[in-house]
Amino acid sequence: MIRTANLRKIYTTDEVETTALNNVNIEIKQGEFVSIMGPSGCGKSTLLNILGLLDNPSDGELFFLDNEVAKYSERQRALLRKENIGFVFQSFNLIDELTVTENVELPLLYLGVNTADRKKKVTEALERMEIMHRANHFPQQLSGGQQQRVAVSRAIVGNPKLILADEPTGNLDSARGDEVMSILTGLNEAGTTIVMVTHSPTYAEYGNRIIHLFDGHVVTENYKEKFHV
Amino acid sequence: MLKNYLKTEWRNLKKNKVYSFINIGGLAIGMTVAMIIGLWVWDELSFDKFHKNYDHIAQVWQFVKFDVEKSSYNSLPIPLAAELRNKYPEFKEVSVTTYNRNVVLTSGDKKLSRTGMYTESDFPKMMTPKMIFGTYSGLAGIHSIMISESLAKALFASESPIDKIIRLDNKADVKVTGVYKDFPGNSSFKDVFFLASWQLFTSMDGYAKFASDQWDENSFQIFAQLKEGIDVKKTSAKIKDIRMKMNYPPPYKPEFFLHPMNRWHLYGDFKNGVNIGGLIKLVRLFGFAGIFILLLACINFMNLSTARSEKRAREVGIRKTLGSARSQLIRQFFSESLLVSCIALLLCLIIAELLLPFFNNIADKNMVILWTNPFFWLIAIAFCLLAGLIAGSYPALYLSSFQPVKVLKGSFKAGRFAALPRKVLLVFQFSISVALIIGTIVVFRQIYYAKDRSIGYDYNGLIEMSMNTPDLHKHYDAIRTDLLNTGVVAEVSESRGSIVFDYGGTTGISWKGKSPDMYPLLMSNEITFDYGKTIGWKILEGRDFSKKFATDSAAMILNQSAMQLMGFKNPLNEIVRYGGKDYRIIGIVDNMIKGSPFEAVKPSFFTINYSAANVINIKLSSQTATGIALNKIEDVFKKYNPASPFEYKFVDEQYAAKFDHEERIGRLAGFFAILAILISCLGLFGLTSFVAEQRTKEIGIRKVLGANVLNVWQLLSKEFLLLVFISLLVASPVAWYFMNGWLENYEYRIELSLWIFGVAAFSVLLITLLTVSFHTIKAATANPVKSLRYE
Repeated sequence: MIRTANLRKIYTTDEVETTALNNVNIEIKQGEFVSIMGPSGCGKSTLLNILGLLDNPSDGELFFLDNEVAKYSERQRALLRKENIGFVFQSFNLIDELTVTENVELPLLYLGVNTADRKKKVTEALERMEIMHRANHFPQQLSGGQQQRVAVSRAIVGNPKLILADEPTGNLDSARGDEVMSILTGLNEAGTTIVMVTHSPTYAEYGNRIIHLFDGHVVTENYKEKFHV
Repeated sequence: MLKNYLKTEWRNLKKNKVYSFINIGGLAIGMTVAMIIGLWVWDELSFDKFHKNYDHIAQVWQFVKFDVEKSSYNSLPIPLAAELRNKYPEFKEVSVTTYNRNVVLTSGDKKLSRTGMYTESDFPKMMTPKMIFGTYSGLAGIHSIMISESLAKALFASESPIDKIIRLDNKADVKVTGVYKDFPGNSSFKDVFFLASWQLFTSMDGYAKFASDQWDENSFQIFAQLKEGIDVKKTSAKIKDIRMKMNYPPPYKPEFFLHPMNRWHLYGDFKNGVNIGGLIKLVRLFGFAGIFILLLACINFMNLSTARSEKRAREVGIRKTLGSARSQLIRQFFSESLLVSCIALLLCLIIAELLLPFFNNIADKNMVILWTNPFFWLIAIAFCLLAGLIAGSYPALYLSSFQPVKVLKGSFKAGRFAALPRKVLLVFQFSISVALIIGTIVVFRQIYYAKDRSIGYDYNGLIEMSMNTPDLHKHYDAIRTDLLNTGVVAEVSESRGSIVFDYGGTTGISWKGKSPDMYPLLMSNEITFDYGKTIGWKILEGRDFSKKFATDSAAMILNQSAMQLMGFKNPLNEIVRYGGKDYRIIGIVDNMIKGSPFEAVKPSFFTINYSAANVINIKLSSQTATGIALNKIEDVFKKYNPASPFEYKFVDEQYAAKFDHEERIGRLAGFFAILAILISCLGLFGLTSFVAEQRTKEIGIRKVLGANVLNVWQLLSKEFLLLVFISLLVASPVAWYFMNGWLENYEYRIELSLWIFGVAAFSVLLITLLTVSFHTIKAATANPVKSLRYE
């Protein structure tokens, strides 16, 4: 589904050049659940952003669904993104001015789904995440765990092939964290590819494979038996 | 999708109340100003369009050359009308008329004095008043009159006015042959309440009868209607030399020309034979002011939206992550600004409706919001869209360009130059405000300067009455005696014209040493013996007229500027020849301002002439209260002049009216300056609140490191003061340039002194400091632990 070849990302500020990713070669297959681990500043989020087509690499190749997308324009990336990828963030990133329903509805609006279908899909997603009873609340009125469930609803509502999760449990206590992990596992079992960045070795174990990053390099890739495609 | 955009923005507006208030309120004020100015411009541009023959009517004028420059007059010789009518096929109608004059109208025991014109019979057909009774041929008979609806109501109440008899100035009876709806407020004839026959006028007025065949008596107006398709300029060229081609062309070389109706109101000024515009300059100036003020409000919107960008950056990031294209975000921000501008438009309509009476008062207008005019709505909505697009343009393009990766990671920091456009816009805003403040100060200084000028006589307790019935002339001596006997009157005299205006001039005057090819215009004043004492003029040399000297019927008094013009070192006893008669100069009086207080006093001379009297001047005794004095004076006039209502004018009030135009400009400029400052300050207020918020952490750290409240206040205020200071540097030369140009319209004017700029600078800096301080002090006194812990 995703393949990188000699991927590099360099950030340039006024005087300093920082290499965030160097020579990264990984492949993520359809149906996998991949965890990415590593110390702070090792490039985990940078890699996730590039895999999620939020950012372009400085160098190297990036194949997404067999297309070379490394040089895609923002417009082309946006198109691929909205059709194929759902995002879950550590800080939830819900829009404060919109209700739960409206937040979840947003990707469908950008996909141009008609009103009736939108309503149906939003309801399905919210029910699946067991947050339907909060449909008309605003994000600030919800607990962290509830907000993350809304965020996951939003990520899955467009039925994406890939879900990218950036420390989805980072802002949650352990009970809520476990809950989110079981949701992600459930989605993966239903066929969705998941790439998750995390600090927690325990949660990383939920994946079929763990990629360790250090200073922008891939150090190890641990395959697990659970992998079943 | 649109619903989603509007919902987000609506909730945003509700959440950030101060921000919304500044944005919507500011924009609404800006729109209100633009709308009111728009209505005013509309009113000015539609002036005289009421007249159906608007595009074909012209007034005949002449350029004359008394000395070096050509001056322009619309007073013309009577025979010119017949000449144009009979020999020039270009004209459809021509009518000679009097100026609009005050006449006493009596019917039964009702007495009124109203202004109106004596015109030839074609005049109504040309000017097309809306007839209620009768037709345009109402003036066919010599003893007929057409009256306005308001005059008909005043004279006859609910009775039918048709065929009723009205007595004019207690001299002639006329029959009402027509009633027309009053000319509207934006017609040149708005104060014409009746139209009476020109033949009747020449039969009553000795001078008019005499002037009927005189080509060099220039005292009446001529209006003409050109035939369809006839060019005004070409016709002007044809009639230009009519007089000069005749025998004995006058030394002042008259050149006739047509001034078309569509230029009367806005292009009324001529300089040396060229039309130099007029009110149109003011219309343009205020038109620009309106657009600029609207722009100021739009700038607030732009500035606040971008300042708020760090807060909204996250939303942009999320939307982009979820697949929004940049164009969709641009659309979102435009729909937001359009929502704001629509709300502002609603608010603007309410404010405008409330503010209009006040503005009408300032501008001396009768404007209303044109609720039922589709054109008005078209423009209002167009303006609303335009304001929304202008206001939304910068945020739409700026905010939509954010990179989602950066803003979501929380690493988003506006670059070093992100605030630059905001600063430029702020400087622009304050430059306009500063320029308007300077302009207002200059206008008022100029008015006070002219008001402070010595007027050369004493207008306190001085009243004037026009002698419009024969009774007043017949009984003048008895009236004077009775008035003096009341004890409330200090002095009474007669004159041909009012002290407040130059009445008539002559070039037919010569003296020893006058250059033979110069024909300067001197203002002539026919007065009676007690005139000087009545008005309290100041004799500088020689003596006043006196009944003790039988020779004073051939004596002349000059004002200072006439003395200077004539160039006499010892003017007394010099001989001046005027009207075929020799006069001896017996005195010189101080210049008295009779014309514009902004101009040099014209050379004038005074002679004794009882038969030319038209005005009675009365000086009240300073011992008696004015109300009581007027009652006693009224008794005297009722006794001798029962046919007329008792009407008088205070000279000081009439003099004050000379400043109306300038004071109106000053008040309008002040009105706009205040609004511009208000809008700019609203923006500044909003902006400081964001800056203070943005720098909360910095302030916290500084305080922990030992900064006190004053240090922090300085830190935050400095930046804004610097920007306002730059605005001062930008605005001052611009204001200097324009105000200097404005002052050049006035002969008697102030110099643009530095202190004016100093005052403007000081007040703007002070206002800035006050505005900024609210937030800076709040930020400076906040507990640093809070802001740091939050991070």
